[in-house]
Parts: sequence; C-alpha cells; structure tokens
Amino acid sequence: MAISNGVSDGALLSKPSNEDQPTLERTQCVYNPLQTYLLPRGETKHYQQQYADMYFARLAQLKPAVERIAAEAFSDFEIAGQAAKKVDRVLDVRQGNLCWVIGTVYMEMPLKPNVLEDIGKEHWIAAPPPREKYAGEGEQVMLEDESGRLRLTGASLKDWLLVTGAIISVLGTENSDGDFEVLDMRVPDLPRQPQRWERDDGEAAKKGKSVLNQTRSSGGKVAIVSGLSISGDAGDTLSLDLLLEWLLGEATGADEQSEAASISRLIVAGNSLSHAQPIPSREEVAAAKKTGKKTYGYDASSYNAAPTDRLDTWLASLLPSMPITLLPGPTDPTSTSLPQQPIHAAMFPHSRAYIENILPSKTDPPNWFDTSTNPCEVDIDGWRFLGAGGQTLDDVYKYVNGEERLEMMEAMLRWRLTAPTAPDTLWCYPFQDGDRFVMKECPHVYFVGNQPRYETAIIEGPQGQQVRLVAVPKFKETGEFILMDLETLTPEVVKIELFEG
Amino acid sequence: MAQDYTEWLAVNVLNEQQNVNYRNLSRALKVHSNVAKQMMYDFHHKQNSKKPGSVHAAYLITGTKKPTQTNGIHSQKDGDDTFMRSSPPLPSSSIPQPDEDEATSTPIRSIMLVKEEHLDQAKELFETMTSIHIYSLQANGLNDFQPLTDCNRRIAAEYASEDPLKEWKTYGSIQNPSVRRRTRKTGPPPPAAPAAKPEPVKAKATAAAATKTSAAEIKESTKPTAKSSGAHAQPEGTSKPPQSKKAASSIFKSFAKGTAKPKKTESQASSAAASSAPAPVAEAEDVPMTGFSDDDLDDDQADGGLPDEEAKEPSGKSKKEREAELQAMMDQEDEPMEDAATPAADEEKHDDGAIDKAESQPKEEPKETVTVENGRRRGRRRVMKKKTVKDEDGYLVTREEAAWESFSEDEPAPKKAKVQAPATTKPSAGKKGAKPGQGNIMSFFSKK
Repeated sequence: MAISNGVSDGALLSKPSNEDQPTLERTQCVYNPLQTYLLPRGETKHYQQQYADMYFARLAQLKPAVERIAAEAFSDFEIAGQAAKKVDRVLDVRQGNLCWVIGTVYMEMPLKPNVLEDIGKEHWIAAPPPREKYAGEGEQVMLEDESGRLRLTGASLKDWLLVTGAIISVLGTENSDGDFEVLDMRVPDLPRQPQRWERDDGEAAKKGKSVLNQTRSSGGKVAIVSGLSISGDAGDTLSLDLLLEWLLGEATGADEQSEAASISRLIVAGNSLSHAQPIPSREEVAAAKKTGKKTYGYDASSYNAAPTDRLDTWLASLLPSMPITLLPGPTDPTSTSLPQQPIHAAMFPHSRAYIENILPSKTDPPNWFDTSTNPCEVDIDGWRFLGAGGQTLDDVYKYVNGEERLEMMEAMLRWRLTAPTAPDTLWCYPFQDGDRFVMKECPHVYFVGNQPRYETAIIEGPQGQQVRLVAVPKFKETGEFILMDLETLTPEVVKIELFEG
Repeated sequence: MAQDYTEWLAVNVLNEQQNVNYRNLSRALKVHSNVAKQMMYDFHHKQNSKKPGSVHAAYLITGTKKPTQTNGIHSQKDGDDTFMRSSPPLPSSSIPQPDEDEATSTPIRSIMLVKEEHLDQAKELFETMTSIHIYSLQANGLNDFQPLTDCNRRIAAEYASEDPLKEWKTYGSIQNPSVRRRTRKTGPPPPAAPAAKPEPVKAKATAAAATKTSAAEIKESTKPTAKSSGAHAQPEGTSKPPQSKKAASSIFKSFAKGTAKPKKTESQASSAAASSAPAPVAEAEDVPMTGFSDDDLDDDQADGGLPDEEAKEPSGKSKKEREAELQAMMDQEDEPMEDAATPAADEEKHDDGAIDKAESQPKEEPKETVTVENGRRRGRRRVMKKKTVKDEDGYLVTREEAAWESFSEDEPAPKKAKVQAPATTKPSAGKKGAKPGQGNIMSFFSKK
C-alpha cells in the first residue's frame, strides 16, 4: 500500500528532515482603492429622484465622445451626392434626409420583466421560470433623447450588440414608415487610459516627492476568485480549505510555496455567500405565503449564521498572510442595488480586526481587508483594475443573442458603461448629478466575477489602449481561480480538484 | 521528535479514528508544515509495512494536467447555438475571434486531492507534477472527501487563541511584514476604572456583555483625549477585534471570566462531542461576540419549539433578572460617560462608530431579547447605534432616533423605542413610563 519512493515522489515523501525550512515572505504590491462607486451615507443618500435624470446625465456625459467619433466617421459619408448631416435631436430627423443622430438605446422586449406581469404571476399556480434571455421575437430597438424616440430598423441592427442604456450614434435615414433605417453606428469607444503609475506618480508629485528615480519592486501576482458560494447547508467546502492552504503556502511543496508567496493580494469578486441577500426573492416570498406563516420583515429564527461565520473565519485565516479585497455580488449581504456598497464590517467579527477605517478616507492607507463596492475601481501596482461581481454582465447577456461573454465585456467598455442596463433591468441608485456608471478612465484590467467559465482576451482602443478582459469562473462550481501577473497582466487559471476516481 | 509524532499520530489516527491532516500535526507539535508532511509519510510508511492497510492516506498533487480531449462547455454550446454573428459586435471591436481549438489545448494547472487507492490513476492525468505530499491520514478509507473539512475546522476551534502573526511562522505560513491590524489603544486596565462600579454586579450575570459596553464607552470617552487625529481608527481600535481573534483574550478575560469561560468550554465540549456539524465550531468562535452567540442560543430555542413563547420565556426571565441589574448599572454609568464623550461627537464619528455600535449591541441584546421578543437581531443592532448616539448627545434619544429613521429602513426606529422601553422599565420600574406605549407595531402582530 505504501507507495514506492519513485523519483517523482519528491522531498515531501521521505523521512522527516532536520534541515531548516525557509520562512517565506510575501511579495508586496501597491494598492489604492478608488472610491468611484461609494455612495454618500446617511442624510445625503436620497431615493426620491427620478431615474430619467440618470439617462439624461448619461447622454450629456457621453455625447461629446460619440460626437467626435461619429463626426469623423460620418462627415464624408455621401449617398447619391447627398452628404450626411448631423441632427441634434431625434425628433428633428426628417424623412428622406441622410443624417446621423446621437441618443440612448432603448430595447423594447416582450420578455423583459414587467411589474404588471410580476403581480399577475403571484396569482398563477405555477409561475414560469425566470427568463434566461429577454431577447426574442417582437423586439424593437429605439433611440431616445430628451426630445423623443425614434424606432430603428435595418439589416445590420441585429448584428450589433445593443442594450438599453447604451449611448450610440446612428447614421441613416427615415423611411416611409417613420422608422429610422440604420446604415452605420458608432459608440463612444474606450476612454483615455492612464499610464501605468500615473495616479501614484501624480500623488507623489503633489506631495513634492521626486518621481524620477523611484525604483519599484515587482508586485508579483494577484489572485482573483469569485463565487465561493458558502451555503452552510452542505459540508462541501473542502476545496475552499485547499485554496486557503495553498494561498497560505502551507500545502504543496517548496516550489509551489514560493510561488504562492509571490501572490500579493486576493480579490474575491462577488457571491461569497450563496443565500445571503437581504431581500427575499419572489419565489421565497411565494413559498412563505403557501406555508401560511406570516412574518413581517426579518425573521430571525430562520437565520443561519454558519455561512457568514465560515466566510469570516476563512478570511481571517488568510488575512495574517495576505491582504484581501472583497467585492459583494448579487447574493451577498449588502444593498441589492448597484453600485452595491461594501459588506459591513459587522459581518466579520474575526476579520474586521484588519479593517482600520470603516469609512476610508483618501488620506488613510487602504484597509488591509478592504471590503469594497461592486463595481469597484482600484489601482494595483499602478494598473487600473475595474472589477464587477457579475450581475452587470449577466444582465447584458439577457439582452443579446449569443454566448460570447467577452464580446459583451468589450462592448461595455466601448460604451463606457459599467452597468449599461441599470436602471432599466438592474436595480441601481438613482444618481442625480451625473451617472457614476460612466467610465471616466479606461482600465487596464476588467474582470467580472461569477461567470460560467474562464475566458480572457485583450482588446485595443483607438488610442492604443489595451485592456485585459477576464471572466472569472464560479469557484464553487469549477474550483478555478485566476492568478494575474502584475508585470505582464497575463492571467493564468488554477484548478482545485477532488479526484473521485 | 520521532517518538512525538509517531505517538501523536498513533493516538489520533489509530486510537481515536480521527481524520488528521498535516496542519493538525504541525500545530499539535509546533513544527513546519513541510516537516509535518514528512512525518505523516514516515508514519504511513511504517505502519503499513507493519500491517498493510492499517492507515490510509490522501495525497495532494500539484502540477500541470494534460489537456483534456473534449471541452464539455464548448461542444454543448455548439449544439444549441444557432446564432452566428457575421460581423463584429461593435464597429470598433478588436476582440480576437474565438479559436475552436484554443480552449482545448491550454494546459491547466491543477491542485488535486486524491485518495490513496486512486493515486496512480490520478498521476497519469498529469503532464508534469510539481509536488506531491500526504494531505491527511485516516484509519479507514475515505468514502468522501468532505469529512476532511473537519480537520481545518478543529484547527480553527482549538487554536483560535493563537496570534496568527506570531505563531504561524512556525507552521510555515507565508509571512507578511506589512500586515496591519487594529491595535488596542486603551488597554484593559484604564477601562476598568470607569467601569469599575458596574462590574461587580454585572460580572457574574452578563459579564461579557458588560465588558463590551464598558469598553465601548471607554473608547468613546478616551477618543477625544487620546488622539484627535486618529479618531477613526481609535474607536474601532479599542481591542474588540483582537479579542474576537483569540477567543479569550485580555479584555475579555479580565472582565468576563465568569461567563465567558464556561461558555467557551461548553461549546468546545459540544464540538468535541459532535464534531461533524459546523454549528459547534461556530459557537466556539462566536463566544467573543457575546451578542451573536446569545442570538444563536435563541435560535436554537426557537428551532426547538418555535411557536410557543413559553419555551423562550423561562430562559428569558432568568436573563431578565441579570439584565435588570445590568441595566440599572448601565443607566447609572451612562450619564457620566456621556458627558465625557459629548465633546468628541461629530458626524464622522457617527459613521465610523457604526462598528462600535454593532459591537456594543451585543451587550444590550440579551436584555432586549427577553423583553421584546427573540426575533430581531437587526432591529436591536440599530437600537444600539442609537444608544451610542445617545452618548454623544447626552440622552437626547428621541432626537437622534428621528434622524435615523429618515435614512434607514423602517424597522430599526420602532425597535429602538421598544427595546429601550422594556429594558428600562423592568429594572427600574416606570423609569420611562411613556415608552412602553410607544412599542413597535411588530409586537402587535406577535403571537400571544
């Protein structure tokens, strides 16, 4: 039974040695969370505003960018001697005139969730399962601005990725039906991308430090994992243990351990807990009704503390060795509307020792355990990372045909919107002064958690911007997590498996 | 050393029939995890050469796996997917078009746990192996890997009091020199002074709870003096987190010897008895967070006999008495503290204080549970927040409440009112006569 001492068995399958084991020290990286998506707290947070303002703000913010690109592309466009002219408002489009106009896309889809239908559903015996896609027969694409709406048609329309909320410019002409026959389209495309270290250098310069002869050591790698989905109803967390041990550098042999030591940060990208959203789903409410149990508000007796506790201990075991960024996801215990606010430190009785400031200010050093917003923007080793917990991409996915999630991620970047479909089909905070989901700067890395499988690609922008896209798989289902090199921004996937024979 | 590990493994694996992993061994003997792996190998080797099959091992292999032949997702997708896009999704798209073979040809790095009997089979899957070692030992073969989670759970429970920053170096965990943890700014002694009066009384009953309140208040009071600039860090820094790390660390001990320890041992015992379920461990870990653990208890009761209130009431009453005392003490104590704290009150603190509030809730929670109803933890937390608010404003409770209501959910505000009212009325009857009438609307709906 004892296995033979073959060559491959290595150093750990031998008698205990007396030689000293080296103490490994973890690589450090420079980490700066940008509080782009942090909402005001307390009295300054209001929910009385109309969502329409968000669309107006978004259009106003993105119009100049689209205009520049569209003007360049469409100004020379001629058909039968007629040059394309710019029209300022969608209602100013005149039949037969070749023109281009800018507006917000609105997708009318019969399968899109509808409040009235939802109410109706409650009276059905068996409600239909939630839709995987909204796309289907009878969908209409419209372009709207402050003045009104224009229905878009055209053969090329179905080839493009379009979702509600995207700001685009379309070239075409109004046909006899009053629809706008689209010939071509332009999007805002990637915004300006900061140079690596740009922000850090700027900060340093402000403080009067010399930037020139600064040496920066390599930040090693950053690990990204999502969808831990700790549920508490099954003892299925062994792969979580293995991940922990691997990251701590306790498992495996010396080579792997020193590699683990080069991982300078862990990012948990959403859905750490599987059933922790504070608002029960429609299905749960319906189920509760059937049992005839009337509960008003929160029912403490049904609360299971085990998953939260498990997550807390898991994080607390890692924190002595590595800093962690925790993004919430759709099933995590925090606000359900985007941008999701950081999971409160009260959820982490053990781990919160590593949170120095509950309300981080710009001047404080970032928290060692950084519970961040979703989406979140951070600078790691000078690179700009944009991360999301997954619901933004999942919602875009419902609008479009096809499965290419990387294309959708690319489109979101080119629309310059981190959450294009909010507030149409995603809950979000009614921003008043400017839509925060509009990207001001182009990230170097865009990762989205809780995706069906690992995918990655690099896209390029008109000014030579390069963005690394990463779809992070669900750890619970795949056992996979991502290691990203902070010098080359090359991702690598590592899989934890239990071999069942 | 050889005897040590042989003996320890013999006792735990052969006699007690436990699943033991290398981390258990390394912590028990205070050796580096790599040495522990070798020890397990040695033990496994020796035992099985004496008597084959007496000890079973699970191996952890890391390396690069050979690319698999089929990519499940791909083929499945190809089946359903009728949609083919002929042009790029956006005019400026630069995304590389997926290559059919690309996904299948990339080698995958893998960390794989394998049972002894499948070892050879698993090894064949690997193109290169970077390491292999024994992960765990057990007397009987494993049917399922999941029981192994128990190994780490035991570690979490048994070694919770170790300071990871100091002890873990021994085990070979990767060290991080720049780790930042909140440190206790006010040591236990100073807090003791202000809290001195209440303690003797409280100590026996809800000592743990008391410590928290007093500690929290102390924080508040010390804040302004200690460091005006570091106001953020301090309130939270006041030692609670460290406490929770090590189940019974100094503050806790000094104030709460009476209750905290019994509780802990109790829960540990129970975890030992039924180590399979996560619950025991959770309890053990929860101990420092008095409030939470109390809630757990409530939950347990609720699970047992949910509908009947009587089931809860008895336990509640015994608590009530203690809490009555405690509340009395707190009432006395609160006033001076508030005076001290008021100068420091500013908006920022409020928000920072959120955690403190959360922490301080636990103190009062027990009382509230009794009087109001077991149900709402959250509501109570909010209550506590209000309480801290109180401190700053010097008992201008109502004002603060109104403010909170406007921002947050509807529930918290009513709860406060309730909670306070009952808590105070019982100890010092009629102290706040007006409040009971104001009770939460929820109580109207509760079963009676």
